[in-house]
Amino acid sequence: MILFLVKGLLRDRTRSLFPVLVVTAGVMLTVVLYSYIKGSENDIIQASASLVSGHVDVVTRAYAREEDQVPNDLALLGLTDLMNELRQSWPDLIVTPRIRFAGLLDVPDAEGQTRAQGSAVGLAVDLQDPASPEHVVLNLADAMVSGRLPTASGEILLSEIFADRLGVTLGETVTLLSTTMHGSLATANFTIVGTLRFGVAAVDRGAILADVRDIQTALDMQDGASEVLGFFPDMVYRPDAAREIANAFNTRYGSRQDAFAPLMRTLRDHNGLAETLDLANAVGAAIVALFVIVMSIVLWNAGLMGSLRRFGEFGVRLAIGENKMHLYRSLLVEALVIGLIGSVLGTALGLLAATYLQVHGMDISGLLKNSSMMISNVLRARVTPTSWIIGFIPGILATFLGAAISGLGVFRRRTADLTKELQT
Amino acid sequence: MTNLRLAYRNLMSAGLRTWLNAAVLSLVFLTILTAQALLNGMNEQTERALVATEFGGGQFVHPAYDRYDPLTIPDAHGVPPVALQTMIAQNQATATLVVQGTIYPAGRLQPVLLKGIDPAQQVIDLPAHLLTESSDEIPILLGTRMSHGTGLQAGDVFMLQWRDRYGTFDAREARVVAIFRTQVQAVDRGQLWLPLQRLQEMTEMPGEATLVTLAPGHDPGRVDGWIQHGLEDLLADIRNLVRSKMLGSLFVYAILVFLAMLAIFDTRIFAIFKRQREIGTLVALGMTRNQVARLFTLEGILNAVLALLLAGIYGWPLLGWFARTGWQLPETTDSYGYALGEVLYPVFSGDVVCETALIILLMAAVVSFLPTRRITSVAPTDALRGRVF
Amino acid sequence: MRFQPSLAMTVILLAAVMIVQTDTEAEDGTSWPSGDTILAEVDANAGSRNKLIEAAMVIHGRRGTRTVQSRSWIEGTQRSFTEFLAPARERGTKMLKLENQLWTYTPTTDRIIKISGHLLRQAVMGSDLSYEDLMEDPELSVLYWARTTGVDTLLGRPCWILDLAAQEQDIAYHTRRVWVDQERAVMLREERFAKSGKLLKTTEVREVYEVQGRWIANHVVFRDMLKEGDGTEFLLESIDFDVEIPPHIFSKAALRM
Repeated sequence: MILFLVKGLLRDRTRSLFPVLVVTAGVMLTVVLYSYIKGSENDIIQASASLVSGHVDVVTRAYAREEDQVPNDLALLGLTDLMNELRQSWPDLIVTPRIRFAGLLDVPDAEGQTRAQGSAVGLAVDLQDPASPEHVVLNLADAMVSGRLPTASGEILLSEIFADRLGVTLGETVTLLSTTMHGSLATANFTIVGTLRFGVAAVDRGAILADVRDIQTALDMQDGASEVLGFFPDMVYRPDAAREIANAFNTRYGSRQDAFAPLMRTLRDHNGLAETLDLANAVGAAIVALFVIVMSIVLWNAGLMGSLRRFGEFGVRLAIGENKMHLYRSLLVEALVIGLIGSVLGTALGLLAATYLQVHGMDISGLLKNSSMMISNVLRARVTPTSWIIGFIPGILATFLGAAISGLGVFRRRTADLTKELQT
Repeated sequence: MTNLRLAYRNLMSAGLRTWLNAAVLSLVFLTILTAQALLNGMNEQTERALVATEFGGGQFVHPAYDRYDPLTIPDAHGVPPVALQTMIAQNQATATLVVQGTIYPAGRLQPVLLKGIDPAQQVIDLPAHLLTESSDEIPILLGTRMSHGTGLQAGDVFMLQWRDRYGTFDAREARVVAIFRTQVQAVDRGQLWLPLQRLQEMTEMPGEATLVTLAPGHDPGRVDGWIQHGLEDLLADIRNLVRSKMLGSLFVYAILVFLAMLAIFDTRIFAIFKRQREIGTLVALGMTRNQVARLFTLEGILNAVLALLLAGIYGWPLLGWFARTGWQLPETTDSYGYALGEVLYPVFSGDVVCETALIILLMAAVVSFLPTRRITSVAPTDALRGRVF
Repeated sequence: MRFQPSLAMTVILLAAVMIVQTDTEAEDGTSWPSGDTILAEVDANAGSRNKLIEAAMVIHGRRGTRTVQSRSWIEGTQRSFTEFLAPARERGTKMLKLENQLWTYTPTTDRIIKISGHLLRQAVMGSDLSYEDLMEDPELSVLYWARTTGVDTLLGRPCWILDLAAQEQDIAYHTRRVWVDQERAVMLREERFAKSGKLLKTTEVREVYEVQGRWIANHVVFRDMLKEGDGTEFLLESIDFDVEIPPHIFSKAALRM
């Protein structure tokens, strides 16, 4: 019978093509929306992850307790060994060292006297290694306002506003006054080779971006770093995987209770990010739920309409002797087949589109006035296991229910009434 | 007019089918509005919190004060201008004195900002009323992030050191009277709150402040001496970020609009396909093809109008209520063990309502018009026989 | 013309001397010398036209202990020039103090930079001392009124206990208490207090020795009493008084030499 029904479906486009098209379209939209919402949740935390926390990060226990003070005297040492260990244990994790520092930037005049001075907040990352992930992580290409990225030792970038405030131009030499990890006065000369925009006023007011090796030298932090950040390869945060890695790492170092033992944290462990993530998750889930419900209603309605219009046909079939139950069952099977085909096609198309969005994203930089580190210019989706099945809820369930409910009319009306509807 | 009456009669004669389709389309319309409102609400949540907890209706700051440069703080204090003092006395503004200090939780040195605030103030959403003085110890209020960063809990006593206006050191014990939770990190991280008058006494700065925060809706106009920062200025960063997120929201909007298109498509296309014979009959009876096309287009638009009216009838009170009461987010525990029970307020925009309604009407017209053109281009006899597609 | 003080002026002068010279009475009725007198003796013992000092500062940090060696030329109380000699990273760094201004020079940057304003409150080399502490006038009698309030024994030496009160409002430490060797006029201990009376910093002398007729503390420990840690030790390796100091030393040009 199923074959007969399928043939019947294929021969009558109004019973097959259009319902399948509608279900396919509905399911595809559901899959794309869900995946996009998941991607944009990631987007919300991406800026914080890139600048502050990574997906996971490693600091010393003591540093974690006093992190707000940027206590480089409590920084990680033995960086090379630590990075090697992380890469061996979790080869898929992208790890990169960072040093946070603060100080004064002093601008000399022609005689070497102070011409201008300003408080500075610094971030040292791996800039010189062409394979460094920081170019992508920090969105450097889009954040640059003028000049170029550092390629040699002794070169730094300033935030555009800071450079303006100090009245410095590209190529000028400035002196950083800070504190070494041992507390001594640290001084170092740097050449400004470019300016960039972080996108947060508090940071843009006085920010320096330098290469990590230069700052290791300047702050007497050989083979050291404030922290090591870890990112998942596609820059998409995976909370369960992150928690697993952190637990494994911390268990490994669990026997060490000294203040300088390394500690791994996930993004959620960082101050305030958990709440942002939860809010984004809640809103995203609400929108998806609302969408799935309404999409289900739309497809249910489509199924309903489709069946209602066939009451004339049903009248004829009943008149020539088909059993009501048999008719009803055939209706349900048809709906199931349409729902299944539509859901499979819709899910396939939806996953295709979502995967494209996940990998390539949609570049909106042309629509943004001021690109910066904080503002991502590429909209991305994220395909999760749920993306594979979420479309089936409206696709099969709703279509099936629509036909089931409308098909009940077969039982409630008289054959003659059904046949009359053939005329309409 | 005939067309309109005819279209209306056709719609009404379809009975349940019409109302069902209108109901579904109205639901889609409201879904689009609600989804956009939730996204807007989420984006505006931060701005709302900043205004409520930090910026009020704007600020006046001491000319030496730069909130991004801690080196300016020692000199950034003075008696506020008379106009601002009047506003403070009338509870239209509140003064804050900012001073550098050092605390020693568990024997570790930690620089902090001491912020003095009037416990009776009602301008910003900070539980300053908890700063009651009951002992010699200095009462301190701090946020959860600061509590986490220092290890200080409610009831803890710790040593606090500061310098008075002349640079002389002073140190006294302080007690944490309460810990508050806030979305706004700028009133939490790296700072402690204490009674304004107490801080003024501690630092020998009677009547002085670093900044004055205005209550929303109050503006003293030009005030000499102190620098005004309006909300536009103070919220520039967050608004930039939100603007960039709006483009992301547009994508969601586009998908929701496709949902509407689907709803319209499925009802109208089916309807027209099933009425091929009727169309053929109308043409055979003398209606021109254009008249038939106009009739079906009108039906589509009327269907959409009906849906929008229906949405207005039950949607207006429903969404209005939702906007007022907000959505109580599920309670989870934050990273410090505090319960999160925030309320998210959806933000409905008149622009979005009008634009979405127009899009729906337009789509209904197009989706109704196009297939009709096809039908009316065939011979009436074929149409009568149902042989069009 | 001969100067002949009037009777009134003589009385006033005598009264002034008596006020200054007033001794404090101990509980057992014996009288203690006035605090100001003792403090003046301490300043006289330590003070000289100039001095050349070689010293080591041992800083106990959270990550271990470091020793920084320096050589300082000091003229009076207003001018000093310090060159850091070790460790290798600090070698060549110099600091010049002229009255209330402080400059630093580092060979790595070849820059002379003024340390001013609130930077002066930063710790020196991560020690428990700030630049402000270093800049402070070493003559306490200029900054404080002193009162003898007791006796004690430290390092086996009988000491006067002096309570000091700041003469001006803008002095960092409102009150101090010092223990002064009764015979040698050298300070053996100092406590610095906040306005509330809370003990903030201590200076403890572990060893003294005699140089050119003066008693000098050659092992001193500074501690910030509010925080954990072992503080900062100052070890005097050599001190010479009234040496020949080239005048150009106290100039910014000397920082680059």
